[in-house]
Amino acid sequence: MNESSVLVIESDPIVRESLSGWLSSTGFEVTSAEDGAKIIKVFAKSDFNIVIMDVRLHSETQLATLREMKAIRPWIKTIIITSHPQEETVLEAKKIGVVDYIVKPVDMDDLQKIIQGTVESICRGNLTDDNTSFETSGDDLVPGIKKSFAISRENLSLMVENLLKEIEVVGVKAKQGKYIYDRIYGFYELSLDYDVTVSPPTRYMFPPKETLLKFKTGNGNYVEPVIEYTPRVIIGVHPYDIKAIELLDEVFMNHNPDPNYIARRENTVIIGVDCLHPSPRSFAPSMGTNWTETGFDLLLTDIGNSYIVKIGTEKGAELLAKHTKYRLPTGDEIVRQKKVRGEALNRYKIALDTPKDRIPKILEESYDDPYWENRSATCLSCGSCIMVCPTCYCFDVKDEMALNLKEGERFRRWDGCMLVDFAKVASGENFRKDKASRFRHRMFRKGKYILERYGKVGCVGCGRCSSACLAGIASPLEAFNSLAENIRLKEAATSVIQAAKPARDIYTPEMAEILSVRQLTEKEKVFELKLKSGKKLGHYPGQFVTVSIMGTGEAPLSISSSPLRGKNFQLAVRNMGDLTSALHSLEAGATVGIRGPFGNGFPLETLEGRDLLLIAGGIGLFPLRSLIQYVMDRRYDYGKVSLLYGCRTPAERVFTDELDFWQNSKEIDFHETVDVPCEGWTGNVGVITNLIDKVDIDPKKTMVAVVGPPVMYKFVIEKLKKRDLPDAHVFLSLERKMKCGVGKCGHCQINGIYTCQEGPVFSLTQLRSLREAVL
Amino acid sequence: MKPKVAFFDFTGCEGCQLDALNLDAQDLIDLLNGIDIVNFREVMTERSDNYEIAFVEGSITTEGEIERVKRIREQAKIVVALGACACIGGVNCLKNHVPMEEALRIVYGKDAKYYNTIPARPADAVIKVDYYVRGCPPSTSELVKVIKALLLNKKPDIPNYPVCVECKKAGNICVYEKGQTCLGPVTRAGCNAICITSGRYCWGCRGLVDEPNIQSQKDILNKYGLTAEQVIEKFKIYDTCSEVLK
Repeated sequence: MNESSVLVIESDPIVRESLSGWLSSTGFEVTSAEDGAKIIKVFAKSDFNIVIMDVRLHSETQLATLREMKAIRPWIKTIIITSHPQEETVLEAKKIGVVDYIVKPVDMDDLQKIIQGTVESICRGNLTDDNTSFETSGDDLVPGIKKSFAISRENLSLMVENLLKEIEVVGVKAKQGKYIYDRIYGFYELSLDYDVTVSPPTRYMFPPKETLLKFKTGNGNYVEPVIEYTPRVIIGVHPYDIKAIELLDEVFMNHNPDPNYIARRENTVIIGVDCLHPSPRSFAPSMGTNWTETGFDLLLTDIGNSYIVKIGTEKGAELLAKHTKYRLPTGDEIVRQKKVRGEALNRYKIALDTPKDRIPKILEESYDDPYWENRSATCLSCGSCIMVCPTCYCFDVKDEMALNLKEGERFRRWDGCMLVDFAKVASGENFRKDKASRFRHRMFRKGKYILERYGKVGCVGCGRCSSACLAGIASPLEAFNSLAENIRLKEAATSVIQAAKPARDIYTPEMAEILSVRQLTEKEKVFELKLKSGKKLGHYPGQFVTVSIMGTGEAPLSISSSPLRGKNFQLAVRNMGDLTSALHSLEAGATVGIRGPFGNGFPLETLEGRDLLLIAGGIGLFPLRSLIQYVMDRRYDYGKVSLLYGCRTPAERVFTDELDFWQNSKEIDFHETVDVPCEGWTGNVGVITNLIDKVDIDPKKTMVAVVGPPVMYKFVIEKLKKRDLPDAHVFLSLERKMKCGVGKCGHCQINGIYTCQEGPVFSLTQLRSLREAVL
Repeated sequence: MKPKVAFFDFTGCEGCQLDALNLDAQDLIDLLNGIDIVNFREVMTERSDNYEIAFVEGSITTEGEIERVKRIREQAKIVVALGACACIGGVNCLKNHVPMEEALRIVYGKDAKYYNTIPARPADAVIKVDYYVRGCPPSTSELVKVIKALLLNKKPDIPNYPVCVECKKAGNICVYEKGQTCLGPVTRAGCNAICITSGRYCWGCRGLVDEPNIQSQKDILNKYGLTAEQVIEKFKIYDTCSEVLK
């Protein structure tokens, strides 16, 4: 992490640019953005030391963004710029942990002083005004709440061994390549550097089955409550699980306090440990649960040879004082704690696409979304997701009689809303009888109901459910992101209607001249064209035009060339219908009609700066070529670029000269395969999915564009999911029957959307709720 | 007046009956305080056809057995299917995959002509069954649980959710995560996932839950590397019979 990385959030482009320019020239590493809400995603992925943010009057959204940023990186230093300093806003900002504020117009000297002071305080590790603070001063070695100390590995071991002499100790252990909570008998058994456990630690407060009452019927009848507990220390609890336990505390210890839970909770000591190597399925930072300042008795951070230990309660302080030796952390150790935490944050692979505060609203608006039915079709109702969930706490109550039929006990055991009979009553009526309503109910609990009832997040982003779900549908993250995307699409659709004005006759083609024709294979040719008006076509990679030959008709054809390569454009065409057959018979100099460009191409802004994985099957290379050319023309704007190409036989390979060029180019990692080889073919043989294994993929950084026949998509998606690529990073171009190109004729409709308008390029997130897309 | 209980065996290994009274002494005495066993070929010589509750073990595999189980149904107020063979058809149904003549020939060779057989089926393919004691073999505690429920006139607490629920409660690492396959996601729980906890996988001996997502289970087995034939092979060990006869 660079000590002087600055994020500037400022809506006024002039202020933003001058500020960024000045900061860069003064030696800071600057990133800038115009809108705070948009930056959250960037923020979760890259680290900054200082944020300078423009805060408008009474702007709750901006303060919310600030809060969100603080939750993700508590050590961040924020300076706000405001044109109208209002006491309330400033006070509120201070409460969130803002270091200072500056009034517009910005005096660069003032700003420099503030920034320098802030940088120095970071270098000193003196984090006085935020909540990761070290309140220990001078020679103060008395352990107290919120104080942090350093403890060597040997002394941690000493503490655990001493604890084992007087109390049951449960800790995280390795088992069969996974991690579990289990009773331990020695420090050596612990694995504190784990990703996630199979089952959460909540079972030690709320066991899978427990007796509530003992009773006798008939003569000498009685009913007695049963409260059983074992005093115990749990060591190795990650912050997200601590947050989950805090939710259970709220549920069981507040309204109608639950004596059984309380007895166990009060006899449990929680020694947490920061999660430094998160599971690839975890999205704890998005839920604000990757760090915690509460809910533990002690919290450890592994900083190499030693641990920083933070005291959360009196109980924790006593335990530390009684069982082991500790000392004040050195400056270096404090810096290292910050460093390892920063690095940990960069290891998360998936994130919410939207601020978590929006989830309840997104769900509310999506109650009737087809997503629920579509996505739950493969649900096994097996309950795995809820049984491994740390925030699930529903239960069933039953009586069990002894064989003498006189004595018995009433017990409770875990139950949950994903199980078929959960909402079924004695008459046989089931109030949540279909998979979709159960699936939806669970997501609503995780994202809305629990939050609204208890003020705490109902999903801590641990990722256990998505690991446990054999059908691969349980991740709340995927649901929240898909639904947010649907809402964005709906909103976008509305704004199009408002903005639309009749501009020209949408059905009349513009004339274009065929400049050249080149035979690619037996059935395919590429045509170079130019509009007769002399105007540029003005297309984006992935868009299409309709080509008219009067008397024959009109057909949609994808554009195969980059818009960056002059006024001409290319259409690569397979001869397969009336129009394409007529087109194939034309020669240079002939005239055809063109309408378009139409539709949504590849999302260029989203792809920028990322690693790209481009996958083409057969003549899927035709539309993808426009993107490949575009990327090659602006190669410095992208990270690693890989291109995979597969076709049926060597004879069907198109643009062979370019394939050879890519093969030898250092700028692109190119692999190709054929299904059926011919004599003399020395390259790969087999399906295109095999090629994916040949590419190194960092799922966090990689964006994927896929174009090919429908059958290919299913297998490619499966493979990409195995490599942990989030849905939002995968873009596919769909083929449909397109006639009008302007979203009217209805042929290209997939459920509610028009391929010619919202497509042909879709993100996988969008496609998840389109049942007819069939992936 | 204690209810009179009878045990009857049909085609099967009789292990369920053997296991049925494998109780410790006090439990056995408590049990016999609650019921009167009047017919139980494996453990007593007396036989009475005056009973209210009949436990039926084994699957039905001959015409004669059909008649016999029908007579039991006429006599008993309550019929309980005991064990996988009686509940879902069980391993006997493996023979349903070949023609009956072929099955006779494989088993009896040249003496096949002296025997007769029909496709194996669970008790409820022939008569109405009131309660089920599931598993191969059923645990003694489950049998006792069902008997207690009968005596208390309440529905026995047999879950209608898959084995996964109890497997996760047991804190097991999923069999699929270890690269193996398992029928837990569609098989009725109640066994505390004993096979998986002991290091194996679920064979489906307790039959399916009420609303199994068979297609999804097949897709998953497929995804984890079993071919269509292997899926059928795996399903047929205990379950195919009920599937075929439905």
